[in-house]
Amino acid sequence: MNYRDKPELQDRLAGEYVLGTLRGRARSRFQTWLRDDARLRRAVAEWEARLAPMAAGVAELAPPRRVWQAIQARIAVSARRPQVSGFWESLAFWRGWGLIATGCAAALLGALALQQPQVVEVPKIVEVPSKAMQASYVAILHATQDGQKLVFVAYAGRHSDELWVKKVALGDAPPEHGYELWGLPAKAGEPPKSLGMLPKDDKGTIKLAAVADQSLKDFPALAISIEPASGSKTGLPTGPVVAKGDCLKFW
Amino acid sequence: MDPAQNKLLQDLLAACARKDQGAFARLYQATAPKLFGVAVRILKREDWAEEVVQDCFVSVWNHAGTYSAGLSAPMTWMTSIVRNRCLDWLRRPNLEVVLVAADDDAEDPIEGMAFDGPGPLDQLASSADAKALADCLRRLEAKQRQAIMLAFYDGLSHSELASHMRQPLGTVKTWVRRGLERLKGCLGSM
Repeated sequence: MNYRDKPELQDRLAGEYVLGTLRGRARSRFQTWLRDDARLRRAVAEWEARLAPMAAGVAELAPPRRVWQAIQARIAVSARRPQVSGFWESLAFWRGWGLIATGCAAALLGALALQQPQVVEVPKIVEVPSKAMQASYVAILHATQDGQKLVFVAYAGRHSDELWVKKVALGDAPPEHGYELWGLPAKAGEPPKSLGMLPKDDKGTIKLAAVADQSLKDFPALAISIEPASGSKTGLPTGPVVAKGDCLKFW
Repeated sequence: MDPAQNKLLQDLLAACARKDQGAFARLYQATAPKLFGVAVRILKREDWAEEVVQDCFVSVWNHAGTYSAGLSAPMTWMTSIVRNRCLDWLRRPNLEVVLVAADDDAEDPIEGMAFDGPGPLDQLASSADAKALADCLRRLEAKQRQAIMLAFYDGLSHSELASHMRQPLGTVKTWVRRGLERLKGCLGSM
């Protein structure tokens, strides 16, 4: 469909897109057009301004507490990262979800891309000249409340499925609760993955699902949350995140 | 939304752009009940709405820096993020289809079917900047208004509107198109 020279058609499609009646392939196609057509984005923003006040007619409903807890756990990761990765998260987010939240946001993303053409994510690899140290993954976690305070370290040989853990200053979990260790994926929007419950003692091991090179390589960071003693029932962090930090390749 | 509330949300978004987690918590407290209400209304499932609202707030945190107060009001921006995510969610393949039960008695959803308590237009009238929209909606033909409100509030597509309103697809599409045109004209004249 040639829509570019037809402002009335553009405006009609923008209205139906915002109202939500544009669906399926028509919606995807419209979202593709939105990415490179500033005029269309403006039409969408105008329709959003016209129709969004209708939301005032919807009764408020308080979301359960776990929603906020999950959001906190997820933003704890992005707060930890430097600003540049936010840019990549943005791209990953928009592409991953195929979601154009508003035309304006997409336009600004485009502007960002122009301003920062050379942002490159630095791989978290530490080169070690000596062969004495076995190739391994090393995680160093700090308290969420106090980023200076080292509270937990973990270590696994690259080809081992045993993760050695040490609570440096984590204290005891609340009664009937325990600490659960999570791998945090690099890509925003992907959920954390449980690596297991920490042992009760200050030092011990966690049996990984596979050798570290498979089970840890996708997680540039780890986090610890407080969960029921048998682990989170949802498969996602539900309790407060008490510690987080980088998981480095040490070879 | 009154100007003071608008300003407060703008300030909170600006603080979120600076990665102020306290401001983000206040933004959540101030807006999550409305946004969750919008998502539950469209998706008809609280578990899905929880996931959508969670994703949207993470997105708001990551993109607060791209919010521009000159382009849209904070609530408009956030509502659009939530509604778009809901509509994309409904587009997922293999989704169990949740059909809205057709109600023979409800000729017009405006004042009764849609909500418990006061109708949505009454609620709109209580918010100053939405009053113009409510007035313009009232001036539409009943079928046009019904189609637009079902689409906005319940996330019905053209074909769902057609089966819900028991009308041919083409007729419903025309109602939506003419309704939107008249709404735009009416809002522009106010």
